[in-house]
Amino acid sequence: MSSNRQPDSCDHLLDAGAYLLGALSQDEQREFAGHLRACGGCQHEVQQLQIVVDTLPIAAPQLVPPPDLRDRIMRVVDAEAELLRATGPEADRVRAADERTRSTDRAKRSRRWGALLFPRPIAAGAMASILIAVGVAGGALVVSEDSPTAPPTTTFTAKVLSEGSKAVVSVQDGRAALRVTNLPSAPSGKVYQVWIQRAGEQPQPTHTLFNVRKSDGSAVVPIEERVGPGERILVTDEPDGGSLTPTGQTVIDAQLT
Amino acid sequence: MTDPKKPAMALVDMADEDLMQLVRKGDNTAFAIIYERHSTASFSLAYRMTQNRNAAEDVVQEAFLSLWRSNARYDRARGSVRTWVLGIVHNRAIDALRRSIGHDKRRASDEGLEERFEARERTEVEVGRRAEAKEVRTALETLPTEQCRVIELAYFGGFTHSEIAKMLDTPIGTVKGRMRLGLEKMRHQLAGLQELPS
Repeated sequence: MSSNRQPDSCDHLLDAGAYLLGALSQDEQREFAGHLRACGGCQHEVQQLQIVVDTLPIAAPQLVPPPDLRDRIMRVVDAEAELLRATGPEADRVRAADERTRSTDRAKRSRRWGALLFPRPIAAGAMASILIAVGVAGGALVVSEDSPTAPPTTTFTAKVLSEGSKAVVSVQDGRAALRVTNLPSAPSGKVYQVWIQRAGEQPQPTHTLFNVRKSDGSAVVPIEERVGPGERILVTDEPDGGSLTPTGQTVIDAQLT
Repeated sequence: MTDPKKPAMALVDMADEDLMQLVRKGDNTAFAIIYERHSTASFSLAYRMTQNRNAAEDVVQEAFLSLWRSNARYDRARGSVRTWVLGIVHNRAIDALRRSIGHDKRRASDEGLEERFEARERTEVEVGRRAEAKEVRTALETLPTEQCRVIELAYFGGFTHSEIAKMLDTPIGTVKGRMRLGLEKMRHQLAGLQELPS
């Protein structure tokens, strides 16, 4: 690669940003890469802008990956590591069996989230009508799954601070999801944070922070931590990034009994 | 390779670059630590790009398995492990976007995104990362709208300059110019930013 800087008037300088952002076509990308080897001015420009492009990923809102994603990846990795230990470093770590595992996992995942977050149309319809009746009393109801082997999903209506808003917590096998509608957006600089409170204890923070869609105030929020009977799920508004103890107003209060 | 019966405390204290040497030899415990350190940033980037939970999970899974299987080779001369991992995730997400039928203008909007943030700041590094992320977001958001938009469409949306030009009804040269100018301005704003340790 040439180390000589060329004048900043190189016609290709304009392509530097698009090149680093991956916005050139494949042919243009190859062409610019070839040009870079010979043009000191473009090399310098790319080096300078690369620093910025490397920071762009962290501009994305930070989301907690689902724990079962780690489980799926580590299942494959642990199996391949075991194989490697058994057969030595020449072992082929890529196995067709893993691909089968992966597709099975994906199907299982879809079923699980599907069952928890998106009840079947018939169940959802029934749930909606029952919730209207139960919502007044703030009670709970049980929605049975079609499959006799699937754990039942229990749904709890929550007390909501703002008038016209609704919040429902669905729990299946200790895994909970919160569904809200018509909830105002969290105040500027704040997010909603989910807390779990066990009997006689202070609310414990969860990793789950969220905001609602601006268009309809809705959100479907899986709660990473497991929950149990008799516990309360609270939502407060907290400074961006969350808090270790509640500091904001309680906007949602769901008693899981 | 690490003996699974021995405690992995020493590994936890190791720098990413040293862990990657173990990963190349098939050390699954070292890989697990690399995953723990970079999975949140990876998933966040993948989700921001695909705007779909399942697609984001697939992108992260493909990227990390590629890293594990040494299909992607880490070269410490080319930057930190974090930058390298996120580069793999970005490329995989672009591939996924360009394969998908839904690669259209709708994805250019943030509408409908459910934002869920990592709440706990367990270490000083995590606190620092949050501040760093805020600084980068601010630098991006305070760009003139047209510059911010072309950078977001290209980097997070996976659109080419000609697609963006068509979408915004703007000449290609103008789109390229906005990308370069926007990145230049961000570089000045972020001049003091240093990459955090693992």
